[in-house]
Amino acid sequence: MSEERDLDAAEYVLGTLPADERARFSERLKSDAALRQDVRAWEARLAPLDETATPVAPPPDVWRAIERATAVGSTAVPEAAGTNVIALRRRVAFWRGSTAVAGLLAAGLAVVAVVDRLSLPPVAAGGRYVAVVDSGGHEPALIAEVDTTTGTIRVRSLTAETPSGRSLELWHVPEGQAPRSLGILKAGLDAQTINDAASAGPVDGLIAVSVEPEGGSPSGAPTGPIVYTGRLIPVE
Amino acid sequence: MNQRVSTDGSSLAVLLDATSRGDRPAFRALYEATAPKLFAIVLRITRSRPMAEEVLQETFIKIWQNAERYMPESGQPMAWLAAIARNRAIDRLRSEKIERNRADDDQILERLVAPAAGDPAMRQALGTCLKALDEESRDCVILAYCSGFSREELAERFGRPVGTIKTLLHRSIKQLRACLESE
Repeated sequence: MSEERDLDAAEYVLGTLPADERARFSERLKSDAALRQDVRAWEARLAPLDETATPVAPPPDVWRAIERATAVGSTAVPEAAGTNVIALRRRVAFWRGSTAVAGLLAAGLAVVAVVDRLSLPPVAAGGRYVAVVDSGGHEPALIAEVDTTTGTIRVRSLTAETPSGRSLELWHVPEGQAPRSLGILKAGLDAQTINDAASAGPVDGLIAVSVEPEGGSPSGAPTGPIVYTGRLIPVE
Repeated sequence: MNQRVSTDGSSLAVLLDATSRGDRPAFRALYEATAPKLFAIVLRITRSRPMAEEVLQETFIKIWQNAERYMPESGQPMAWLAAIARNRAIDRLRSEKIERNRADDDQILERLVAPAAGDPAMRQALGTCLKALDEESRDCVILAYCSGFSREELAERFGRPVGTIKTLLHRSIKQLRACLESE
Protein backbone atom coordinates (compact mmCIF):
# COMPACT_ATOMS: atom_id res chain seq x y z
CA MET A 1 0.00 0.00 0.00
CA SER A 2 1.50 3.32 -0.98
CA GLU A 3 1.55 6.01 1.66
CA GLU A 4 0.04 8.61 -0.67
CA ARG A 5 -2.90 6.39 -1.64
CA ASP A 6 -3.66 5.51 1.95
CA LEU A 7 -3.61 9.18 3.01
CA ASP A 8 -6.08 9.95 0.21
CA ALA A 9 -8.28 7.03 1.28
CA ALA A 10 -8.26 8.22 4.91
CA GLU A 11 -9.03 11.82 3.92
CA TYR A 12 -11.80 10.62 1.62
CA VAL A 13 -13.39 8.80 4.57
CA LEU A 14 -12.81 11.77 6.90
CA GLY A 15 -14.42 13.97 4.23
CA THR A 16 -11.58 16.51 4.13
CA LEU A 17 -10.50 16.14 0.50
CA PRO A 18 -11.25 19.38 -1.39
CA ALA A 19 -14.27 19.08 -3.75
CA ASP A 20 -12.27 18.56 -6.98
CA GLU A 21 -9.90 16.02 -5.42
CA ARG A 22 -12.86 14.25 -3.87
CA ALA A 23 -14.60 13.97 -7.24
CA ARG A 24 -11.41 12.60 -8.86
CA PHE A 25 -10.96 10.14 -6.02
CA SER A 26 -14.56 8.84 -6.37
CA GLU A 27 -13.85 8.31 -10.06
CA ARG A 28 -10.66 6.35 -9.29
CA LEU A 29 -12.53 4.18 -6.79
CA LYS A 30 -14.77 2.80 -9.52
CA SER A 31 -11.91 1.03 -11.28
CA ASP A 32 -9.42 0.45 -8.46
CA ALA A 33 -10.29 -2.48 -6.20
CA ALA A 34 -7.17 -2.04 -4.04
CA LEU A 35 -8.11 1.56 -3.34
CA ARG A 36 -11.64 0.48 -2.41
CA GLN A 37 -9.99 -1.91 0.04
CA ASP A 38 -8.03 0.99 1.61
CA VAL A 39 -11.25 3.02 1.92
CA ARG A 40 -13.08 0.11 3.50
CA ALA A 41 -10.29 -0.33 6.04
CA TRP A 42 -10.58 3.34 7.07
CA GLU A 43 -14.37 3.12 7.22
CA ALA A 44 -14.02 0.18 9.58
CA ARG A 45 -11.40 1.94 11.73
CA LEU A 46 -13.51 5.07 12.18
CA ALA A 47 -16.98 3.44 12.26
CA PRO A 48 -17.09 3.39 16.09
CA LEU A 49 -17.41 7.19 15.93
CA ASP A 50 -20.81 6.70 14.23
CA GLU A 51 -22.01 4.94 17.38
CA THR A 52 -21.65 8.22 19.26
CA ALA A 53 -24.56 9.75 17.32
CA THR A 54 -27.81 9.51 19.29
CA PRO A 55 -30.56 8.14 16.99
CA VAL A 56 -33.17 10.65 15.78
CA ALA A 57 -36.45 9.44 14.25
CA PRO A 58 -36.80 10.87 10.74
CA PRO A 59 -40.21 12.39 9.83
CA PRO A 60 -42.63 9.95 8.09
CA ASP A 61 -42.39 11.96 4.83
CA VAL A 62 -38.92 10.56 4.27
CA TRP A 63 -40.09 6.96 4.08
CA ARG A 64 -43.02 7.92 1.86
CA ALA A 65 -40.64 9.64 -0.56
CA ILE A 66 -38.34 6.61 -0.57
CA GLU A 67 -41.26 4.28 -1.17
CA ARG A 68 -42.43 6.35 -4.14
CA ALA A 69 -39.00 6.68 -5.67
CA THR A 70 -38.20 2.99 -5.37
CA ALA A 71 -41.64 1.94 -6.64
CA VAL A 72 -40.93 3.51 -10.05
CA GLY A 73 -40.29 0.76 -12.57
CA SER A 74 -41.61 -1.96 -10.28
CA THR A 75 -45.03 -3.58 -10.28
CA ALA A 76 -46.16 -1.19 -7.56
CA VAL A 77 -46.26 1.74 -9.97
CA PRO A 78 -49.66 1.57 -11.70
CA GLU A 79 -51.50 1.21 -8.42
CA ALA A 80 -49.52 3.90 -6.62
CA ALA A 81 -49.70 6.33 -9.53
CA GLY A 82 -53.44 5.71 -9.90
CA THR A 83 -54.07 6.43 -6.24
CA ASN A 84 -52.05 9.60 -6.47
CA VAL A 85 -53.97 10.80 -9.51
CA ILE A 86 -57.26 10.22 -7.71
CA ALA A 87 -56.00 12.06 -4.65
CA LEU A 88 -54.84 14.92 -6.84
CA ARG A 89 -58.20 15.12 -8.64
CA ARG A 90 -59.97 15.24 -5.29
CA ARG A 91 -57.74 18.06 -4.20
CA VAL A 92 -58.28 19.95 -7.43
CA ALA A 93 -62.05 19.57 -7.00
CA PHE A 94 -61.82 20.74 -3.41
CA TRP A 95 -59.63 23.65 -4.33
CA ARG A 96 -61.93 24.78 -7.10
CA GLY A 97 -64.93 24.44 -4.81
CA SER A 98 -63.35 26.49 -2.06
CA THR A 99 -62.27 29.19 -4.54
CA ALA A 100 -65.85 29.45 -5.71
CA VAL A 101 -67.13 29.77 -2.17
CA ALA A 102 -64.52 32.37 -1.31
CA GLY A 103 -65.48 34.32 -4.41
CA LEU A 104 -69.14 34.12 -3.44
CA LEU A 105 -68.49 35.47 0.04
CA ALA A 106 -66.19 38.22 -1.17
CA ALA A 107 -68.26 39.56 -4.02
CA GLY A 108 -71.77 38.49 -3.06
CA LEU A 109 -72.21 36.68 -6.37
CA ALA A 110 -75.38 34.80 -7.20
CA VAL A 111 -75.54 31.02 -6.95
CA VAL A 112 -75.72 30.86 -10.76
CA ALA A 113 -72.28 32.45 -10.92
CA VAL A 114 -70.91 29.76 -8.61
CA VAL A 115 -72.20 27.06 -10.93
CA ASP A 116 -70.59 28.92 -13.84
CA ARG A 117 -67.31 29.01 -12.03
CA LEU A 118 -67.40 25.29 -11.38
CA SER A 119 -67.54 24.62 -15.10
CA LEU A 120 -64.48 26.75 -15.80
CA PRO A 121 -61.38 24.98 -17.12
CA PRO A 122 -59.21 23.47 -14.37
CA VAL A 123 -57.37 25.99 -12.30
CA ALA A 124 -53.81 25.38 -11.24
CA ALA A 125 -53.81 23.20 -8.17
CA GLY A 126 -50.92 23.49 -5.78
CA GLY A 127 -49.13 20.21 -6.05
CA ARG A 128 -45.90 18.35 -6.43
CA TYR A 129 -44.70 15.95 -9.03
CA VAL A 130 -41.61 13.83 -8.96
CA ALA A 131 -39.65 12.03 -11.67
CA VAL A 132 -36.88 9.55 -10.98
CA VAL A 133 -34.74 9.94 -14.07
CA ASP A 134 -32.53 7.05 -15.22
CA SER A 135 -30.97 5.49 -18.27
CA GLY A 136 -33.34 2.55 -18.25
CA GLY A 137 -30.90 0.69 -16.03
CA HIS A 138 -31.43 0.49 -12.31
CA GLU A 139 -29.20 3.34 -11.12
CA PRO A 140 -31.20 6.59 -10.92
CA ALA A 141 -29.26 9.51 -12.43
CA LEU A 142 -31.28 12.30 -10.89
CA ILE A 143 -34.51 13.15 -9.15
CA ALA A 144 -36.62 16.04 -10.46
CA GLU A 145 -39.33 17.50 -8.23
CA VAL A 146 -41.82 19.96 -9.68
CA ASP A 147 -43.55 22.30 -7.25
CA THR A 148 -46.51 23.80 -9.08
CA THR A 149 -47.30 26.27 -6.31
CA THR A 150 -43.99 28.06 -6.84
CA GLY A 151 -43.37 27.08 -10.48
CA THR A 152 -39.98 25.62 -9.61
CA ILE A 153 -38.21 22.41 -10.45
CA ARG A 154 -35.67 21.09 -8.02
CA VAL A 155 -33.17 18.74 -9.57
CA ARG A 156 -30.97 16.54 -7.46
CA SER A 157 -28.18 14.80 -9.26
CA LEU A 158 -27.31 11.34 -7.98
CA THR A 159 -25.10 9.78 -10.63
CA ALA A 160 -25.61 12.01 -13.69
CA GLU A 161 -22.26 12.68 -15.33
CA THR A 162 -21.48 15.45 -17.77
CA PRO A 163 -19.14 14.29 -20.58
CA SER A 164 -16.21 16.66 -20.89
CA GLY A 165 -16.68 19.47 -23.39
CA ARG A 166 -20.47 18.85 -23.50
CA SER A 167 -23.49 19.98 -21.51
CA LEU A 168 -26.39 17.99 -20.13
CA GLU A 169 -29.67 19.70 -20.95
CA LEU A 170 -32.88 19.06 -19.04
CA TRP A 171 -36.18 18.79 -20.93
CA HIS A 172 -39.84 18.53 -20.08
CA VAL A 173 -41.73 16.43 -22.61
CA PRO A 174 -45.45 16.99 -21.93
CA GLU A 175 -47.75 14.14 -23.08
CA GLY A 176 -47.99 14.28 -26.88
CA GLN A 177 -45.95 17.49 -27.21
CA ALA A 178 -42.47 18.55 -28.27
CA PRO A 179 -39.67 18.71 -25.67
CA ARG A 180 -39.29 22.04 -23.91
CA SER A 181 -35.89 23.02 -22.55
CA LEU A 182 -35.66 23.57 -18.80
CA GLY A 183 -32.01 24.57 -18.88
CA ILE A 184 -28.56 23.15 -18.45
CA LEU A 185 -27.63 20.81 -15.60
CA LYS A 186 -24.71 22.51 -13.95
CA ALA A 187 -21.81 20.06 -13.89
CA GLY A 188 -20.61 18.99 -10.47
CA LEU A 189 -23.56 20.53 -8.65
CA ASP A 190 -25.57 18.06 -6.61
CA ALA A 191 -28.76 20.09 -6.38
CA GLN A 192 -30.14 23.04 -8.29
CA THR A 193 -33.49 24.80 -8.50
CA ILE A 194 -34.91 25.93 -11.84
CA ASN A 195 -37.62 28.57 -12.10
CA ASP A 196 -40.11 27.50 -14.73
CA ALA A 197 -43.30 29.52 -15.10
CA ALA A 198 -44.87 26.78 -17.24
CA SER A 199 -44.67 24.43 -14.28
CA ALA A 200 -47.07 26.58 -12.25
CA GLY A 201 -49.89 24.14 -13.00
CA PRO A 202 -50.52 20.43 -13.39
CA VAL A 203 -47.78 18.78 -15.46
CA ASP A 204 -47.50 15.41 -17.11
CA GLY A 205 -45.22 13.49 -19.42
CA LEU A 206 -41.50 12.93 -19.02
CA ILE A 207 -38.41 14.64 -17.75
CA ALA A 208 -35.50 13.87 -20.08
CA VAL A 209 -31.80 14.69 -20.26
CA SER A 210 -29.85 14.98 -23.52
CA VAL A 211 -26.16 15.44 -24.28
CA GLU A 212 -25.65 18.75 -26.09
CA PRO A 213 -22.79 20.93 -27.27
CA GLU A 214 -21.34 23.01 -24.43
CA GLY A 215 -23.87 25.68 -23.42
CA GLY A 216 -26.89 23.75 -24.65
CA SER A 217 -28.82 22.87 -27.77
CA PRO A 218 -28.36 25.53 -30.46
CA SER A 219 -31.76 24.76 -32.03
CA GLY A 220 -34.06 24.76 -29.00
CA ALA A 221 -34.77 21.06 -29.53
CA PRO A 222 -32.65 18.14 -28.32
CA THR A 223 -29.83 17.49 -30.82
CA GLY A 224 -27.76 14.90 -28.95
CA PRO A 225 -28.70 11.51 -27.56
CA ILE A 226 -31.32 11.38 -24.81
CA VAL A 227 -29.40 9.68 -22.03
CA TYR A 228 -31.89 9.69 -19.18
CA THR A 229 -35.69 9.79 -18.89
CA GLY A 230 -38.23 9.55 -16.09
CA ARG A 231 -42.01 9.85 -15.90
CA LEU A 232 -43.56 12.63 -13.80
CA ILE A 233 -45.78 11.26 -11.07
CA PRO A 234 -48.05 13.41 -8.89
CA VAL A 235 -47.27 13.09 -5.19
CA GLU A 236 -48.99 13.79 -1.85
CA MET B 1 -45.90 -2.98 10.10
CA ASN B 2 -43.43 -2.40 12.86
CA GLN B 3 -41.05 -5.29 12.91
CA ARG B 4 -38.52 -5.25 15.65
CA VAL B 5 -35.12 -5.76 14.19
CA SER B 6 -31.93 -5.62 16.14
CA THR B 7 -29.11 -3.65 14.60
CA ASP B 8 -26.57 -6.41 15.05
CA GLY B 9 -24.63 -7.26 11.95
CA SER B 10 -26.13 -10.64 11.14
CA SER B 11 -29.78 -9.57 11.01
CA LEU B 12 -28.90 -6.46 8.99
CA ALA B 13 -26.97 -8.63 6.54
CA VAL B 14 -30.05 -10.85 6.14
CA LEU B 15 -32.23 -7.79 5.49
CA LEU B 16 -29.74 -6.41 2.97
CA ASP B 17 -29.67 -9.73 1.18
CA ALA B 18 -33.48 -9.86 1.00
CA THR B 19 -33.58 -6.20 -0.12
CA SER B 20 -31.21 -7.01 -2.97
CA ARG B 21 -33.80 -9.51 -4.21
CA GLY B 22 -36.50 -6.81 -4.22
CA ASP B 23 -38.14 -7.83 -0.93
CA ARG B 24 -39.99 -4.66 0.07
CA PRO B 25 -40.99 -5.69 3.63
CA ALA B 26 -37.31 -6.45 4.27
CA PHE B 27 -36.37 -3.04 2.86
CA ARG B 28 -38.93 -1.43 5.14
CA ALA B 29 -37.57 -3.35 8.13
CA LEU B 30 -34.04 -2.31 7.19
CA TYR B 31 -35.22 1.31 7.13
CA GLU B 32 -36.95 1.00 10.51
CA ALA B 33 -33.84 -0.55 12.01
CA THR B 34 -31.22 1.83 10.65
CA ALA B 35 -32.83 5.14 9.56
CA PRO B 36 -32.78 6.81 13.03
CA LYS B 37 -29.04 6.14 13.37
CA LEU B 38 -28.25 7.18 9.80
CA PHE B 39 -30.42 10.30 10.19
CA ALA B 40 -28.48 11.24 13.33
CA ILE B 41 -25.15 10.76 11.55
CA VAL B 42 -26.27 12.86 8.59
CA LEU B 43 -27.84 15.56 10.80
CA ARG B 44 -24.57 15.91 12.68
CA ILE B 45 -22.74 16.50 9.38
CA THR B 46 -25.23 18.72 7.52
CA ARG B 47 -26.68 20.55 10.53
CA SER B 48 -29.76 21.16 8.43
CA ARG B 49 -32.91 19.10 8.82
CA PRO B 50 -34.18 19.65 5.26
CA MET B 51 -30.82 18.65 3.80
CA ALA B 52 -30.48 15.70 6.16
CA GLU B 53 -33.94 14.48 5.11
CA GLU B 54 -32.97 14.68 1.44
CA VAL B 55 -29.69 12.91 2.06
CA LEU B 56 -31.46 10.15 4.02
CA GLN B 57 -33.97 9.73 1.20
CA GLU B 58 -31.19 9.50 -1.40
CA THR B 59 -29.23 7.11 0.80
CA PHE B 60 -32.10 4.63 0.94
CA ILE B 61 -32.82 4.91 -2.78
CA LYS B 62 -29.18 4.02 -3.30
CA ILE B 63 -29.40 1.14 -0.81
CA TRP B 64 -32.45 -0.22 -2.65
CA GLN B 65 -30.59 -0.06 -5.97
CA ASN B 66 -27.21 -1.30 -4.73
CA ALA B 67 -28.05 -3.74 -1.92
CA GLU B 68 -26.60 -6.62 -3.95
CA ARG B 69 -23.20 -4.93 -3.80
CA TYR B 70 -23.00 -5.53 -0.08
CA MET B 71 -20.59 -8.39 0.59
CA PRO B 72 -19.57 -9.74 3.99
CA GLU B 73 -16.01 -8.66 3.16
CA SER B 74 -17.36 -5.09 2.79
CA GLY B 75 -17.29 -5.02 6.58
CA GLN B 76 -20.11 -4.60 9.09
CA PRO B 77 -23.47 -3.87 7.40
CA MET B 78 -23.99 -0.78 9.58
CA ALA B 79 -20.57 0.61 8.61
CA TRP B 80 -21.41 0.00 4.93
CA LEU B 81 -24.77 1.79 5.28
CA ALA B 82 -23.24 4.65 7.26
CA ALA B 83 -20.53 5.12 4.64
CA ILE B 84 -23.19 5.58 1.92
CA ALA B 85 -25.00 8.16 4.07
CA ARG B 86 -21.83 10.03 5.11
CA ASN B 87 -20.48 10.15 1.55
CA ARG B 88 -23.73 11.56 0.24
CA ALA B 89 -23.86 14.18 3.02
CA ILE B 90 -20.26 15.28 2.42
CA ASP B 91 -20.73 15.34 -1.37
CA ARG B 92 -23.66 17.69 -0.85
CA LEU B 93 -21.74 19.97 1.52
CA ARG B 94 -18.65 20.14 -0.68
CA SER B 95 -20.41 20.63 -4.01
CA GLU B 96 -22.75 23.30 -2.70
CA LYS B 97 -20.09 25.00 -0.57
CA ILE B 98 -22.54 25.30 2.29
CA GLU B 99 -21.62 27.72 5.06
CA ARG B 100 -22.77 26.16 8.26
CA ASN B 101 -23.12 27.55 11.69
CA ARG B 102 -20.84 25.80 14.05
CA ALA B 103 -22.28 23.66 16.76
CA ASP B 104 -19.85 21.39 18.48
CA ASP B 105 -20.27 18.23 20.39
CA ASP B 106 -17.58 17.78 23.00
CA GLN B 107 -19.10 14.56 24.25
CA ILE B 108 -18.05 12.42 21.30
CA LEU B 109 -14.87 11.06 22.85
CA GLU B 110 -16.64 10.35 26.17
CA ARG B 111 -19.36 8.45 24.36
CA LEU B 112 -16.77 6.39 22.56
CA VAL B 113 -15.73 4.99 25.92
CA ALA B 114 -19.30 4.46 27.15
CA PRO B 115 -20.85 1.05 26.51
CA ALA B 116 -22.86 0.93 23.28
CA ALA B 117 -23.62 -1.33 20.35
CA GLY B 118 -20.92 -2.43 17.96
CA ASP B 119 -17.58 -4.09 18.48
CA PRO B 120 -16.34 -3.05 21.96
CA ALA B 121 -12.72 -3.95 21.19
CA MET B 122 -12.62 -1.75 18.09
CA ARG B 123 -14.34 1.08 19.90
CA GLN B 124 -11.95 0.92 22.77
CA ALA B 125 -8.94 0.79 20.47
CA LEU B 126 -10.11 3.84 18.55
CA GLY B 127 -10.77 5.68 21.81
CA THR B 128 -7.29 4.89 23.09
CA CYS B 129 -5.60 5.87 19.81
CA LEU B 130 -7.58 9.13 19.48
CA LYS B 131 -6.56 10.05 23.01
CA ALA B 132 -2.93 9.41 22.10
CA LEU B 133 -3.12 12.23 19.51
CA ASP B 134 -2.43 15.77 20.66
CA GLU B 135 -5.61 17.67 21.44
CA GLU B 136 -5.73 19.78 18.28
CA SER B 137 -5.15 16.77 16.01
CA ARG B 138 -7.82 14.79 17.82
CA ASP B 139 -10.32 17.64 17.51
CA CYS B 140 -9.56 17.95 13.79
CA VAL B 141 -10.18 14.25 13.15
CA ILE B 142 -13.41 14.20 15.17
CA LEU B 143 -14.77 17.45 13.75
CA ALA B 144 -14.01 16.24 10.21
CA TYR B 145 -15.51 12.79 10.56
CA CYS B 146 -18.48 13.55 12.82
CA SER B 147 -19.33 17.14 11.94
CA GLY B 148 -18.28 17.32 8.30
CA PHE B 149 -15.67 20.07 8.75
CA SER B 150 -13.65 20.82 5.60
CA ARG B 151 -9.95 21.70 5.72
CA GLU B 152 -10.96 25.38 5.37
CA GLU B 153 -13.43 25.17 8.24
CA LEU B 154 -10.82 23.49 10.41
CA ALA B 155 -8.27 26.16 9.43
CA GLU B 156 -10.69 28.90 10.45
CA ARG B 157 -11.61 27.15 13.64
CA PHE B 158 -8.02 26.67 14.80
CA GLY B 159 -6.64 29.89 13.31
CA ARG B 160 -4.10 28.10 11.13
CA PRO B 161 -3.30 28.09 7.41
CA VAL B 162 -5.09 25.42 5.34
CA GLY B 163 -1.72 23.85 4.47
CA THR B 164 -0.91 23.36 8.14
CA ILE B 165 -4.25 21.63 8.68
CA LYS B 166 -3.52 19.29 5.79
CA THR B 167 -0.12 18.41 7.30
CA LEU B 168 -1.70 17.91 10.70
CA LEU B 169 -4.41 15.64 9.25
CA HIS B 170 -1.82 13.55 7.42
CA ARG B 171 0.29 13.21 10.55
CA SER B 172 -2.80 12.22 12.57
CA ILE B 173 -3.83 9.64 9.96
CA LYS B 174 -0.41 7.97 10.02
CA GLN B 175 -0.29 8.01 13.81
CA LEU B 176 -3.82 6.61 14.12
CA ARG B 177 -3.09 3.80 11.69
CA ALA B 178 0.10 2.83 13.44
CA CYS B 179 -1.62 2.91 16.84
CA LEU B 180 -4.66 0.89 15.67
CA GLU B 181 -2.45 -1.73 14.05
CA SER B 182 -0.55 -2.22 17.28
CA GLU B 183 -3.64 -2.29 19.51
